Amino acid sequence: MAELVDSMLDLLRRLPPTKIEDNVSALVQISPDYADDLLGNVDQPLKLKVDKATGKEYLACDYNRDGESYRSPWSNEYDPPIDDGTVPSPKLRKLEIAANEAFDMYREMYFEGGVSSVFLWDLDDGGFAGVVLLKKTLSPALPSEPSGSWDSIHVFEAAERGRQSHYKLTSTIMLQLITRRESSDGRANNTTGKDGDAWKHDGEVSLSGSMTRQAEQDHPIQDSTSHITNMGRMIEDQEIKMRNLLQEVYFGKTRDVVFDLRSMEDLEKARRQRELQKELVGFIKR
Amino acid sequence: MDPAQRSQAISRFLLQSPPGEINDVLNDVRNIISDDESLEEIVHPALKEYNLAQFIVADVPGADHNSIVSDAARVNGEDDRFLDPRSKTSFRFDHISLETSEPEVVEPDAESEPFRVALESSVLTYLAAHFHDGTASVFADPQSSTRFIVQIVANKYNPVNFWSGRWRSEYVVDLDAKTVAGRILLNVHYYEQGNVQLETSHQSSITFPPTITPSNPSGSASKLLALIADQERAYQESLSDTYHEMGEKTFKGLRRALPLTRQKLDWDRVLGYKLGAELSASKGVFGGGS
Repeated sequence: MAELVDSMLDLLRRLPPTKIEDNVSALVQISPDYADDLLGNVDQPLKLKVDKATGKEYLACDYNRDGESYRSPWSNEYDPPIDDGTVPSPKLRKLEIAANEAFDMYREMYFEGGVSSVFLWDLDDGGFAGVVLLKKTLSPALPSEPSGSWDSIHVFEAAERGRQSHYKLTSTIMLQLITRRESSDGRANNTTGKDGDAWKHDGEVSLSGSMTRQAEQDHPIQDSTSHITNMGRMIEDQEIKMRNLLQEVYFGKTRDVVFDLRSMEDLEKARRQRELQKELVGFIKR
Repeated sequence: MDPAQRSQAISRFLLQSPPGEINDVLNDVRNIISDDESLEEIVHPALKEYNLAQFIVADVPGADHNSIVSDAARVNGEDDRFLDPRSKTSFRFDHISLETSEPEVVEPDAESEPFRVALESSVLTYLAAHFHDGTASVFADPQSSTRFIVQIVANKYNPVNFWSGRWRSEYVVDLDAKTVAGRILLNVHYYEQGNVQLETSHQSSITFPPTITPSNPSGSASKLLALIADQERAYQESLSDTYHEMGEKTFKGLRRALPLTRQKLDWDRVLGYKLGAELSASKGVFGGGS
């Protein structure tokens, strides 16, 4: 059984991130018995929902889902409403409200828009766990402008040990960037044959993916709000690190592979030059 | 899920496979389905479609070069037999093992062959100049002696370092219409602790100058390749621009590297602000706060 879910996860790690939702739903239909195992282990782009009580937007994922309903962090209500939906204990709900406010500010400072949601739940051993969700979508004003989306899913566990707390954090960031280009947009790539017409062209560049990293740390706690400042710092540091990594991998690594497939320079010329150089060196040595 | 939908879903998984990872995808699918008999019926046509669309490279029996297996290479009326115009050989191709067999000599069309050979020679020179691990095939359209299809594919698979990439380009040269219609397709997969994919598509077309004529094969072929080389260079440059723009503008637009203050958040104050704002709101005396 574990093997089957592993194969599903390996498959999803290989297939295009842009198709993850379709592929997950196909896998769930092929093997409905493993649906929960799969959905609990795979990160999908966050869905936007509107809290009917407050009118505020929130994010939906597997962590605030109960059956077909999703809980809003703002009103604590499930939509569609259910009678016995799981909610945090009153004490944890208080912390959840404060965490939502804190990460709403974090969102504004770093994302200057978008939506955030924090969900907490009690653990059997007395500790608690939670997820911090952030999403921002860029919709271009013109078709030639790039569009994109950023989804952060930070899942954490907190275990208090006296005046310290141990935190385990698993962070996934999903990023998608799409640019469409046409000859008429006036930018590069209008080449002209000597006495012929110019090439007409159009195309699309899509860069998408997800990346997951983990961190474990101990931090002192004074009261329950210490958890927010501790998690806040951990998540902030992790997002900064991962943003740099994404920049490296998305824009550095994939570009390098392209330029490795096709060389801008004339490889034959370079080869001849190297040979000539070798000859010259040999000549001088003599 | 009914059987028809299930087989469609399985085909879609295979067709989405990144460069060089079709066997890994196939293994995953086999584990998930575990009903090998019904699976083979789905896998064979899906792999065939995948191979043709991805310009899979085949060892030509008896030749020391490779050729591209694609729709343009299909030998009419014969299933799974493909043509390598360069060695004038057709061969049977196994879409699962990727092995070739049963070579047969193919007599080329006398009318189109001189231009095709000239075009092939220019393409191979261009291929050696710009592709590290490239394969190219030049086909004459069996329906028209003035229409040719140039296909180029370059693959790099590096599973040890978790990446793979594929460049495909195709140009349909029509000497009567004096046009070239091209496309470039790029796929890059980077999957170390994640799954990042670049997917690009690019279509282009040009009406070429009257100096390119069927009566002057070698001169015309090198002029055509100069046009193609120009287009591919320009495409790569525009891709660099796109990378720059996405990295600078779009990425920043999604999430800043640091807040406008250029400092990380002061989390103690974040909580303090909120508490203060709440207090003033509940008392309703202090207005909007500072």
